[in-house]
Amino acid sequence: MNWWKHVVAMELRKILAYRSDFWITFLGQTLIQLLVARALWQMIFSTQGVSEMNGFTLDMMTLYYLIVPIGTRMLTGENIGFLAREIYEGTFTRYLLYPLNVFQYKTITYLTYSLFYALQLLIIYALFRTFISASPFTLSDGANLVSGVLIFLLASMTYALMALLIEMISLWADNIWSLVVMLRFFTSFFGGGFIPLNFLPAWTQATLAWTPFPYLISLPARTIMGLATLDEISKGILILGVWILVFMQGVKLLWKKGQYKYTGVGI
Amino acid sequence: MILVKDLRKTFTSHVKEPGLKGSIKSLFSREVRTKEALKSINLEIKQGEIIGLIGANGAGKTTLIKILSGIVHPTSGQASVMGFVPWERSNEYRRQMALIMGQKNQVWWDLPALDSFLLLKEIYQIPAAQYKYNVEFLAETLMIKDQLKTQVRKLSLGERMKIELMAALLHNPKVIFLDEPTIGLDISAQKAVRLFLRQYQSEFKPITILTSHYMEDIKELCPRVVIIKEGEFVYDGSLSSIQRMMGDEKVLSVTTQEKTFKVSVPRLELSQKTHELFKDNEVLDLNIQDPSVEDVIESIMRNGVGPS
Repeated sequence: MNWWKHVVAMELRKILAYRSDFWITFLGQTLIQLLVARALWQMIFSTQGVSEMNGFTLDMMTLYYLIVPIGTRMLTGENIGFLAREIYEGTFTRYLLYPLNVFQYKTITYLTYSLFYALQLLIIYALFRTFISASPFTLSDGANLVSGVLIFLLASMTYALMALLIEMISLWADNIWSLVVMLRFFTSFFGGGFIPLNFLPAWTQATLAWTPFPYLISLPARTIMGLATLDEISKGILILGVWILVFMQGVKLLWKKGQYKYTGVGI
Repeated sequence: MILVKDLRKTFTSHVKEPGLKGSIKSLFSREVRTKEALKSINLEIKQGEIIGLIGANGAGKTTLIKILSGIVHPTSGQASVMGFVPWERSNEYRRQMALIMGQKNQVWWDLPALDSFLLLKEIYQIPAAQYKYNVEFLAETLMIKDQLKTQVRKLSLGERMKIELMAALLHNPKVIFLDEPTIGLDISAQKAVRLFLRQYQSEFKPITILTSHYMEDIKELCPRVVIIKEGEFVYDGSLSSIQRMMGDEKVLSVTTQEKTFKVSVPRLELSQKTHELFKDNEVLDLNIQDPSVEDVIESIMRNGVGPS
């Protein structure tokens, strides 16, 4: 199975195909998000007259809001809703003609985008440490960064399978865009994309602990920031691993039934 | 070889009454309609043979092609393409098969064709020498060499179709399904595609099933024709037999003050019918011809038999 390297190369070529979109995504979008978050939390901290909220200083909060948007992009990539749209439009046909496993192909395309955004995260993090954070970069920071990025990649794999599972419902229901949007919202809200999860009530956090959501954004972001303990990281990786197995079985089962429903009609 | 026995396919779809009331009603209750797209199809095609599959819109041509290429599962029946059951989608089968749909893009839109070809080379495990030869041969024959490095979305419709043909044939498939490959193309592009298909067929001898609404495609490429009407084959034979079928008929093209129409009459009654026409109408123009293939096929599609 050597074709996967070429799929990765192909997806990277697609990312690089449009120059202005590339630079806007790579730098512009993140910098704007960072400036807005920094200004907003600066105002909140100064209005409250505190230097720390729920364990977060202003610098930590800034870093959190720097990591989260890129991490979320690592999860969702550019391919969110693609499978559902391809089934709806009938362009999914191409993957049935090629002598390859369509789900391997799709997972590889998801992960290519995740890798691209991982690179973006590393560059933006380096800029943050150089120009915003006053503290020197230590070996332990480096270990946290690498661990966090690796957890993000595992989280991307989980999210890719979860999205595939949801999007395959379009084999029965044609248009399931609302489900895709809901998945995105739940992932951001219960994953810590909107606000750090320790701002949520304790019972909500306890309930979420068995779902994949807290480990998709919050855990890797906190790992990069050096806030996650080894126990939390191990538990998170284990739970993500279990969910990956569950979602893989779900995708297999849905495809086994759903392939009879595919008609290849569309635009 | 392709062997199809008693193949059937049924589709269900929802029907909605027009208007807002119908839209609201459909949220709670919808009428489901079943359509038999294929009814007991039997077919045999030998290696190297090219057949023209023709029929009106919705007759079942594309459904048959989708089943034989493995995209869609049949409701019942059997099919074997070179010993493979198409809808099992074994990689070995898919490496020997190609489907080209005139209305669907299969190459990647945002990249130049050569980038797509490189990926296809790996997917189909095409040896480097064969890949190089095929890209050159196909690009030369289709006269598309200069466009291979341009983003596919920036190409004209005809150029994109040529790229689709190249992408589908890079791996030298032994079975080719062509679903309206010349649709929307201008006359010179249609000619180029037909010329290419003829050259390809004579060089590589694949089994080819071609559907097209352009009779020129069928006349130039397909010695054998299968006509499908409402999911059933109503004719399976040679193109020349279709012409011979109507050997004892003549077609009168008549223009009167009020209208222009065609009428088929037995050769022996030609004189009498012509006389009657002149007697009953103020004829401005009259043309007597042998029935064209188009006339015969249209008649078979409409009535299941030759012109009346």
